[in-house]
Amino acid sequence: MEEETRKAGDLWSGVVLLALGAYIVFEASRWEYLGADGPGAGFFPTWYGIAMVGLAILLIASHVRQRPSVEKRIAWPRVGRALAVWLALAASVALAKPLGFLLSFALLTFFIVAAMYRRPVKVAASVALAGAAGIYLAFPLALGVSLPVGVFGF
Amino acid sequence: MRIPVHTAALAVLLGMVASQGLAQGFKPTRPIEVVVHTGPGGGSDVLARAIAIMIEKEKLLPVRMQVVNKTGGNAAVAAAYLAEKAGDPHTIGFFTGVWLTTPLISAESRITLRDLTPVARLVLEPAVIAVKADAPFRTLAEFIDAAKKNPGKMKQSGGSNTSRDNVVRQLLQKSAGVRWAYISFPGGGERIAALLGGHVDMMVIEPEEAGEHIRAGTMRVLAQVSESRLPNFPNVPTLKEAGFDVPVVPQVRGVVAPPGIPKQNVEFWEDLFLRLTRTASWRKYIADNQFEDGYQNAAELLKFYDQFTDRMRDILKDAGVKTVR
Amino acid sequence: MEILSGLANGFAVALDPVNLFWCFVGVFLGTVVGILPGLGPPATIAMLLPLTFHMQPAGAIIMLAGIYYGAKYGGSTTSILMNVPGESASVVTCLDGYQMARKGRAGAALGIAAIASFIAGTVGVLGLMLVAPPISRLALSFSSPEYFGLMSLGLALVVLLAGRSIVKALLAALVGLWIASVGTDLFSSTSRFTFGRLELLSGIDFIVVAIGVFALGEVLANMETQEETQLIPVPKGLRNLLPTLQDLKDCRFAFLNGSVLGFLVGALPGGGSTIASFLSYGLEKAVSRRRDQFGTGVIEGVAAPEGANNSETGGALVPLLTLGIPGSGTTAILLAALVLWGFKPGPLFIPENPALFWGLVASMYIGNVMLLILNLPLVPLFAQVLRMPAYVLYPLILGVSMIGVYSVSGSLFDLALLLVFGLLGYLMRKLDYPAAPLILGLALGAGMERALRQSLMMSEGSLAILVSRPISAAMLSLAVVVLLIPFVGRFNAWRVRAIEQE
Repeated sequence: MEEETRKAGDLWSGVVLLALGAYIVFEASRWEYLGADGPGAGFFPTWYGIAMVGLAILLIASHVRQRPSVEKRIAWPRVGRALAVWLALAASVALAKPLGFLLSFALLTFFIVAAMYRRPVKVAASVALAGAAGIYLAFPLALGVSLPVGVFGF
Repeated sequence: MRIPVHTAALAVLLGMVASQGLAQGFKPTRPIEVVVHTGPGGGSDVLARAIAIMIEKEKLLPVRMQVVNKTGGNAAVAAAYLAEKAGDPHTIGFFTGVWLTTPLISAESRITLRDLTPVARLVLEPAVIAVKADAPFRTLAEFIDAAKKNPGKMKQSGGSNTSRDNVVRQLLQKSAGVRWAYISFPGGGERIAALLGGHVDMMVIEPEEAGEHIRAGTMRVLAQVSESRLPNFPNVPTLKEAGFDVPVVPQVRGVVAPPGIPKQNVEFWEDLFLRLTRTASWRKYIADNQFEDGYQNAAELLKFYDQFTDRMRDILKDAGVKTVR
Repeated sequence: MEILSGLANGFAVALDPVNLFWCFVGVFLGTVVGILPGLGPPATIAMLLPLTFHMQPAGAIIMLAGIYYGAKYGGSTTSILMNVPGESASVVTCLDGYQMARKGRAGAALGIAAIASFIAGTVGVLGLMLVAPPISRLALSFSSPEYFGLMSLGLALVVLLAGRSIVKALLAALVGLWIASVGTDLFSSTSRFTFGRLELLSGIDFIVVAIGVFALGEVLANMETQEETQLIPVPKGLRNLLPTLQDLKDCRFAFLNGSVLGFLVGALPGGGSTIASFLSYGLEKAVSRRRDQFGTGVIEGVAAPEGANNSETGGALVPLLTLGIPGSGTTAILLAALVLWGFKPGPLFIPENPALFWGLVASMYIGNVMLLILNLPLVPLFAQVLRMPAYVLYPLILGVSMIGVYSVSGSLFDLALLLVFGLLGYLMRKLDYPAAPLILGLALGAGMERALRQSLMMSEGSLAILVSRPISAAMLSLAVVVLLIPFVGRFNAWRVRAIEQE
């Protein structure tokens, strides 16, 4: 049962979670563990922090103990695509304030359609415009949900 | 008595100048944004909407008032939003006690009332000390006695440890030299449920919240936390009358505006809310909700703020809460 | 019988053409609001409050209640079609609902959601009508130790939701607990894990994490390859777009489970539809014969939580109408509305306003029927959404997610958080960490910590309070049983092997 889920990432995620657990326990130690009125702010975090550290060690140990003979290779190009989309998303959120939500969303859509799905520029542009227009009609206009408005006024 | 002509002429002249001055004062041209720190249905939100309706009904403003919910950070987000809107004459905010206490205890919450423009204090919310109807205490003194005999065993339900509920507890504990447990619940409903279910012994509750339970006979009131007896509770002693000389630290609600707005703007708001408090709708609202009219203008509010925060710092220190400002 | 005469009067009120109209307006608006992620009933009701002053109170409460329970019908739509939870309560529906959509059974999922919502919603109203007073008394006897037991039971479900690696599931749940701790501690006012940001002072919004981990994570995972054709098959023919008779038979227990559990959890002040739907899903998985298939697209896994979050509305109205105590966000604003109209909700509300109460109850029966009629025909229509090519569908999902999150708090910071959790969701997928335990930990974490600390304050530090009270002891024992269920299976297999070897 545990075999199928062993991947190269187990080691790294185990390390990260170990670090997180240690950080939690450290922070919790700065707060009150048990006060006059009852358990303090540090009580719960201490315990789940310790649990996290313990389980992370278990994870790392089981990875080290039973290293699979054939390490599954990480398909970096695929991961790269996903991360590129994430970066585009991050850019669109960062630009939402200066450019306005509609424009930054249109740019994001354009990027996804043109760069990720390799559609011709015209298709990408029309999907982007249609999407932005649809959002404008549905949300600020029909439902009164206000969206960030940028320097261009929309 | 005959008024000399020159006095009359002077009066007329002054009147003209004065009305010119008022005419050059601020007049809103856009809908007013009213910032509250709770979500829809929360205390400030409901008050803001009620006030908007009253102002419209009494035709005190030529424009609409629009409630904007900026939740988060125990009022820190709403305060920061107002600070960002510096200089905007069409934005105001409704503050409550939490706007005043959060900056005292959270390093992240940087905007205090002094960083904004105080406008007016509107209401004071009194409270009552309530127990379950079948509790053995008939007076507050009996409860305190029970606490003396069983130190730390009596229980009170309330909000966070910086809320008014705990402030009352700290003051009473100090004055009477006793201790009882305080259990925080995040919502008023849960606090009442804890009391009615017999899991805690007493609570500090707003008279309006308690009203129906008292009427139904499931709750009883031992004392009231106010300077003088509320009209709906003529037979319930105040804390002082019950023998506990503690300061009444009120729960306040008022109006605040973004920093950097011109003096005329502040005066306009002060005047607006003063006129509001004189209307019949307002008096009815106060009576219905069992508030106390606590109108103060901007200068008085600032003084109140300083007094209030100084007192809160002492109380919080006694309660063992770390203050950062 | 008093109830029958009350109900008869109620129907007289509810069947008034004006009130029927408002009922329809309410349920329709509620469905729309539920479909849109982020925008929820509290904000919608708040917006409509000024309008209600020109209406009769009966019509007004009928409409607002319609928005409340109608939203629970719509919430499943984006959960199933796009893995974007429409409401917090619909997060659990994503688990199996979206998987069903990926297998081409979106129509069946949407249909069963509507049917389960109808059945459970009606049971919820029945409960409100018949057993409100005794349930309300029972709910009052429920306090922090019992809540802790309930939350522990919920958290024990992590083990059931574990999938293949229990270690990873537990780690995910612990991360969920950690995220739940971010913010200001209620008891001591200490800021925990706020990294100096004031936006984090009141914690991280559940829906931001849910939409990030589920929806964004899914979209990012799908961006890895360039799928030319539409990836989610949509079968042709109306028959394939609705649940089959076999589906309905499979969901028999789920209907019961969702209805009863949702109502009971809703009646607890401090309960909520998210907890109700998780518990119902967990219970269904625990007793199901095909429990290992949960999470891959099992129809009971949609019916149970969807039913639970609907009957929860009936349950939540119990403390509101019998005690004047609001449970969740929406009941809080309903309380505010009643107060604004001049009523005084409390123990005497029902006896003094029988026409209003019974009119409301009757209208809820009618409203649930309206919603079924409204939603079922829309199912084939909605299923067509999945016909869109990927390059249109995914930007749409991203847009809807971002707007949904932004509309909750109006804060760009929340959008940034959405990005963080989107990346987390993607990484979890790649590294085989199950998302459901994280969401469960987040949903239950804060409540569990509070309940434990409140209990210890009540007992002055003695843990015995958790086992000395009957209800909490029962729940904790159940939690232990649930934790042992997977091991029972393994124990049996071991025993069989041992026997075979002899």
